[in-house]
Amino acid sequence: MDLFPLWLSLKVSVTATVLTLATGLPLARLLARRRFPGRDLAETVVVLPLVLPPTVLGYYLLVLISRQGAVGQVLDAAGIELAFTWRAAVLAAWVGSSALFIKAAQAGFESVDGRLEQAARTLGRSEWSVFWSITLPLASRAVMAGTVLAFCRALGDFGITLMVAGSIPGVTQTTPLAIYDLVQSNRMTEANTLSLIAVATVTLLLMGLGRLARLRF
Amino acid sequence: MALSLEVKKKLPGFTLDVTWEAGDEVVTLFGPSGAGKTLTLQCLAGLIRPDAGRIVVNGTVFFDDARGVDMPTQRRRLGYVFQGYALFPHLSVRDNVAYGLRDLPAAARRQRTQEVLERLGLVDLGARQPRDLSGGQQQRVALGRALAPDPALLLLDEPLSALDLPLRQSLRDDLRRILAEWGTAAVLVTHDFTEAYRLGDRIVVYENGRVIQAAPRAELLWQPASERVAGIVGIRNVLRGTVLKASPDRIQFRWRDQLLEAVNSPTRSYLPPPESPLAFFIRPEYVRLIRKDRGTPDPDHHMNLMRGRVVDEADFGTTWTLYIKLDVAGAPAQGHYDLEIEVPRLVYEILDIAHDRQWQLSIHRGSIHVLPSSPFSPAGERAG
Repeated sequence: MDLFPLWLSLKVSVTATVLTLATGLPLARLLARRRFPGRDLAETVVVLPLVLPPTVLGYYLLVLISRQGAVGQVLDAAGIELAFTWRAAVLAAWVGSSALFIKAAQAGFESVDGRLEQAARTLGRSEWSVFWSITLPLASRAVMAGTVLAFCRALGDFGITLMVAGSIPGVTQTTPLAIYDLVQSNRMTEANTLSLIAVATVTLLLMGLGRLARLRF
Repeated sequence: MALSLEVKKKLPGFTLDVTWEAGDEVVTLFGPSGAGKTLTLQCLAGLIRPDAGRIVVNGTVFFDDARGVDMPTQRRRLGYVFQGYALFPHLSVRDNVAYGLRDLPAAARRQRTQEVLERLGLVDLGARQPRDLSGGQQQRVALGRALAPDPALLLLDEPLSALDLPLRQSLRDDLRRILAEWGTAAVLVTHDFTEAYRLGDRIVVYENGRVIQAAPRAELLWQPASERVAGIVGIRNVLRGTVLKASPDRIQFRWRDQLLEAVNSPTRSYLPPPESPLAFFIRPEYVRLIRKDRGTPDPDHHMNLMRGRVVDEADFGTTWTLYIKLDVAGAPAQGHYDLEIEVPRLVYEILDIAHDRQWQLSIHRGSIHVLPSSPFSPAGERAG
């Protein structure tokens, strides 16, 4: 049995989750602590990927990154190919899963008593230092929960990935796409195995998350 | 330490507009909840930006809207003890205390942390988490954390309000001792006058976003600037009479058909015209009962004589409070009584006040305190 889809899924999901953390942490912090014009719009845009059909999201992403698209032109000029590569699958997984992370982390940051951050400031610490030593550790449970949820969601993305990365065996065919392909060609045993592995992986991750959530710190 | 503060800040439904100064001492900001005390502290620490004003500590301008100065909180280097303490729940006691020392080299940081823990008797608790500490221990950790970086000024927001009453009193004395030992100038916020008086060298009285008096604590107790200050600091028997004659050192006035004489303060040069209203107060513990077994009262010792009846009483353990209605016609000055007086338990028992309700009273002229602002002129005009 071809194990490539499993390795690709792992690579794509890990990369997408790192990307989600890098972009989602500052955004979640911003939404949790600041009032600025356009904040309501920003919050809505963050949630949109959760409720829009994946094909719609995929369509717009494709328009954006194709050679004629706004982003695609820039990337093309830089010699980077994005559409229908594994990087496009990362983009798809990132767009599909960021909202879960941002909402969880934002709730976590909002639950941190603002006076603790003020206390840290009165003790001479910079905003950067306050975030890493107070805000993030105190919101760590919510942030970890968001990370695991986002990772699971990235692992399971189908629609967006299909639109922007296609289902090229050995190149962009992630586990969910491979399962679909196997079922289409009536290779039920292999579809069954891959499905079980996917279910087992996510179950283990979520159980680990449950254990984390009970930890006191 | 020298602190001068002038702050204006408009919030929805509330305006803070205060000016006060302090030297190298403990200042308490006292007043009812919602008077703007905590807001002042936050402006001082740079946690909230005033709309206008100027804040200078030890010659360093923290804030000056005219010159566009607004020093960030981090650089003001003030110690801030928050209401409820705001200890970092994920850090040990030791790490909480060391938190503000990050700029020191590791060895110096350890040494200073140890020193602070020792001085506050926290060494044995160093490894504990804040949630495992009692209220009193939490207060010490909060003080240690704020004092460790050796701030020029310590700010304390209702440091005792989170505690139960018996603990509160012992921690008040604890806090007083620590403040005295460390010798740090401090600004302390409280809505409890006993606390303000016990802890502060100087008291700034807040009401509704304004300062209605700022004075050394004894002056506040004995010479409140107005009827409102007297009310807020909990002075009893704040009464109103009518002036008969005022001279620089005496004021004669009429109250409830009695002719009373009070000492005037020559320095205040308060000379209300005859027939004008006069506010004054009489401390309950300074009203004397005339003993019936000692003959006629001597006018040199017993002035401002009045007759009345005990109409109500309250047992406060070591003292009794008696509510006296004078033997004159007309409505009593304070509901169902005219004067509230306080007698030690021993006096209550010796004079058998429980059964003997009719008494003659005297008040020394020095114990009737005239409030300089008449009730009909705006408060807070007095300088200083």
